[in-house]
Amino acid sequence: MRRTSIVFGFLAAGTAMLALAALHARIAAAPERARMARSAALVRAVGLTDLALFTEARFTRNPALADLQTAFQDAPMSFEHFPSGTFAPRPAAGFGRGELRFGPEEVAR
Amino acid sequence: MISVQSVCKTYNEGRPSALTALDGIDLEIARNALTVFKGPSGSGKTTLLSIISCMARPTSGRVLIDGRMVSGLPERFLTLERRRTFGFVFQRFNLIRGLTVLENVLLPAAPLGGEPRADAKRALARLEMLGIAGKAGERVEFLSGGEAQRAAIARALINDPPVLIADEPTANLDTELAHRFLDIVAGLRAEGRTVIMTSHDPRIWAAEQVDRVVSMRDGRLEENAA
Amino acid sequence: MTSWLRRQRALAEYTLAALARRRIKNTGLLLIYAVVIFVVASATLFATALRKEAEVVLAGAPELIVQNLVMGRHDMISGEVIAEIDGIRGVAGIKGRLWGYFYDRLNGANYTLMVPLDPDMAPPEGQAIIGESLPRVRELPWETAPLFLSRYPGDLVRFDIAERLSSESALVSTDLILLNEADFRAFFELPENVYTDIALSIRNPREIDTIVEKIGRLLPNARLVTRDEIARTYQKLFSWREGIMVLLAGASVLAFVIFASEKASGLSAEETREIGILKAIGWDTGDVIAMKLWEGGLISFSAFLLGTVLAYLHVFAFDAGLFASVLKGWSVIYPDFALTPGIDGLQLTALFFLTVLPYVAATIVPIWRAATADPDQVMR
Repeated sequence: MRRTSIVFGFLAAGTAMLALAALHARIAAAPERARMARSAALVRAVGLTDLALFTEARFTRNPALADLQTAFQDAPMSFEHFPSGTFAPRPAAGFGRGELRFGPEEVAR
Repeated sequence: MISVQSVCKTYNEGRPSALTALDGIDLEIARNALTVFKGPSGSGKTTLLSIISCMARPTSGRVLIDGRMVSGLPERFLTLERRRTFGFVFQRFNLIRGLTVLENVLLPAAPLGGEPRADAKRALARLEMLGIAGKAGERVEFLSGGEAQRAAIARALINDPPVLIADEPTANLDTELAHRFLDIVAGLRAEGRTVIMTSHDPRIWAAEQVDRVVSMRDGRLEENAA
Repeated sequence: MTSWLRRQRALAEYTLAALARRRIKNTGLLLIYAVVIFVVASATLFATALRKEAEVVLAGAPELIVQNLVMGRHDMISGEVIAEIDGIRGVAGIKGRLWGYFYDRLNGANYTLMVPLDPDMAPPEGQAIIGESLPRVRELPWETAPLFLSRYPGDLVRFDIAERLSSESALVSTDLILLNEADFRAFFELPENVYTDIALSIRNPREIDTIVEKIGRLLPNARLVTRDEIARTYQKLFSWREGIMVLLAGASVLAFVIFASEKASGLSAEETREIGILKAIGWDTGDVIAMKLWEGGLISFSAFLLGTVLAYLHVFAFDAGLFASVLKGWSVIYPDFALTPGIDGLQLTALFFLTVLPYVAATIVPIWRAATADPDQVMR
């Protein structure tokens, strides 16, 4: 048995496994779509806004609604300390809005 | 067969360390003969051997193999020429450690893309002929000096080259093994091959199997027929 | 063609024989390499599946949420606002949402108490619908065992279990306790006619911006969150900038690159000599480089296959178990969820090029000089 035969055999097996994984994903797609539709129906009926992935703190349980635009969470010295806080994105619009919402003539007045 | 015409070779040309290894060599090497270059170390015999065998290029002058000019060829064609024409046995054998004897013998065949089983069969036949077929599966670092040399010879012959090049082949061998080597070489000559080697070993110069001894000193020939 | 294939195979054979000489070292290298790819591939597969889940499932979220802010903090909103907003054209439906958190002193878990928007879903008085994790963290002994919540020492409120939510929606519902409105207000001692925030449904999504502007004028203190913003929050969660997993993987990739380049480029005197021998016995530069390509290609492709297949199994068959403790953080509740298996071809290709190419390059580049050297140096 040549070494290349063995190694190429392993590589072929690995490629086949990867193809099998892709096939598995394809087969699972339809039932998974149905499952997610049921979840979406629950979200609609209850009126949910967030994933319940991080239940350790208010701003991680509901990152979409949390007071992310305020500078401090609970106290001026309260730096980010919950582990899942590190996964949270910064607000989509950034922290400042960059405008005062006044017209120029109002500012002049 | 091989014609060397006013070949010069200078290493580190144009620098203070420039060294002229060959200084105007003219030489004809006959087909199917055993030619030995002798001379003290530094006389240029190894350089001449590498220029003849397309391993290095002359600084000036020409080398012709069967009338084909090879000294000006680009690297790729030089490799092709070397592959087709020469087999090499090096002074320190230069077997690749960690590989078996058979794997080493098959190395020159790898780039040719031959049928692997036929290659292996040829290699085993050659090892058989040299009397070390029993060691084919053994790693080369466990071979004795004489066995390593025969493995190196088998490797040199795997692609069936018409010319065998050997650099100081008996330097690491005792007298008995040196004579065995000469017997092997004589056998190769009987197969129709040309053998060119360097040696500063008087046992070789005096050997009856040698057709011609070319004596060298300071990059020049001191020709005399044996 | 066959001769080309045979040549390639012979070169690969040599490479393998050469690699087999340091079997333990090279196997170790392969395994470390595979682990690095495994971590990166797991993180990618996991984050992609999670983003996909959030995208599909949160499509059912309210189009617009109106929050009241007091001193820069989220506060209760008066029910009177509902009538005011309802007058705005384009608003299809409007409801006050009641939700809040409850810290369970018994086990340190945080629950989310909520009144379902859909009145049909609300449980009868004295009953609750609970998420998948509650029976686990409260160790409810049987299917209909009641839930007791204690707000302060000496207090005990009993809810009978109307329904347990299925674990297939665990990712959105794991910590929920759904109550009816009267029970919710009684439990949190809330006055009538205040809400946590207000959820709007909007008939035409193109009108959202106009409606947001109108509400902004009506309620200058309010904070408005659109469904698009919710979706964006989750699309950015675990994106390459934010994820510490990716950061950690990045660090390990870096360490590996240093290791690999040290290994691959630190061309030993032994290796240089071997290349000289190969050239001397008739290999040309192309053969040497092809042989080294095989070395880099075989090692990195094996590691890639091993890493990605294991990552797929890890994320989709074992529910990303290795990440669970990282994601769980200090939470008591962690949803028991399975993600929708999926392989993104583009991502996989990107991963392939990011992992395989640098290694192959690190193997090839240093060889170039040795491979182009004159073969006669082995004679000297």
